[in-house]
Amino acid sequence: MSEFYEGLAEILEVEVGEVNSDLALDEGNWDSLAIVSTIALIDEVYDKTISGEALENCKTVGDLEKAVEAA
Amino acid sequence: MSMTAPPSPGHAVAARISAIATHLPDTVLDNDALAADFPSWPAEKILDKTGIRERRIAGLNETALDLGCAAATKLFANGTVRPDDVDFLLFCTQAPDHFLPTSACIMQERLGLPRHIGALDFNLGCSGYVYGLSLAAGLIASGAARRILFVTADTYSKYIHPRDKSVRTLFGDGAAATLVEAASGNTAGIGPFVFGTDGSGAGSLIVKAGGFRCPNSPDTAVETEDRAGNIRSDDNLYMDGSAVMSFTLREVPRMFRQLLDKSGTTVADYDYVVLHQANKFMLDALQKKLGLPSEKVPRRFEDIGNTVSSTIPFVLAGLMKNGKLVAGARIMMVGFGVGLSWAAATIAM
Repeated sequence: MSEFYEGLAEILEVEVGEVNSDLALDEGNWDSLAIVSTIALIDEVYDKTISGEALENCKTVGDLEKAVEAA
Repeated sequence: MSMTAPPSPGHAVAARISAIATHLPDTVLDNDALAADFPSWPAEKILDKTGIRERRIAGLNETALDLGCAAATKLFANGTVRPDDVDFLLFCTQAPDHFLPTSACIMQERLGLPRHIGALDFNLGCSGYVYGLSLAAGLIASGAARRILFVTADTYSKYIHPRDKSVRTLFGDGAAATLVEAASGNTAGIGPFVFGTDGSGAGSLIVKAGGFRCPNSPDTAVETEDRAGNIRSDDNLYMDGSAVMSFTLREVPRMFRQLLDKSGTTVADYDYVVLHQANKFMLDALQKKLGLPSEKVPRRFEDIGNTVSSTIPFVLAGLMKNGKLVAGARIMMVGFGVGLSWAAATIAM
């Protein structure tokens, strides 16, 4: 998960140590640009294509990880 | 047995890009101005994420045709070609002066081009430059023309709602004029090409109202706010950034491999791979996915943004100016976007 967390830290503008499954995706950091960047990150790390809608509905980093597993 | 037609073998047409001139409108839209309108996106964040510091915006009465004519006028001023020498005009825009007549016909008169030339518009966005080169190469291969003025120009700013940061931060207005000439007795060649089209994604990047399917009306002018706080109406440009990113990551690597196969080349054979200059996060993602070293992927968007069909010639003009496109240099061009539409070509200078 570390490569994914490192990428997420950059996208969410937090320290990588702060990234864990419980970290909330809120209005402040989970905007359209963050979602587009996360699509690219998931493609890079997991070689999976995920839709913007699937990501929009995520509330936490844990939700993102579940969405990646389901993809 | 496959029902798909076998791919055309493709080959290079004996033609070359002999000159490029570019033009930008005067008005600058910088990140400080955007940050004042969108407080959640400070100027530094816009630069960090998009890689864009400023964009140029056409004047109220300045159209893509005007920008294109200015670029062509610069091309003629360079002395490479005279208006009398041009025998065909191609104009790529998505912001024409009128539904009819063809903007290229008006451009013929404005530029003082001969009356015996052919002239046509075509409506494509970020794939338009590669498509235009394929049309020019085809005209040259058929003997229909020898010296083609190919103009790209767009003014997406006129479609963009001022409160829609998803597109206002990215797109800039601009134009390029490219001279494509028949070549003989050297290594220069344009092609082969590969193309792709997926109309199921038409709604991913669209100005919905204004044509006959959905004429402008009080209803289409009704503004709505999306979940990210962006405001637009059906009269404005809409981009589903997620859908466009997914499409790009899916189709561009596939097209890249197709072109390598078709042209019998490997990445090592190319001096440069010139990608459509969408923005920093798109190019970073594509460059990683294609496994290309930074020095092979020239960039030009920090001071002009995404100029749609003119992004590739802006990069090429920069390479030419710096003496990087010497005879024998080989480049790949890759365009992708609105349509959805994509195309790539191999060019030997």
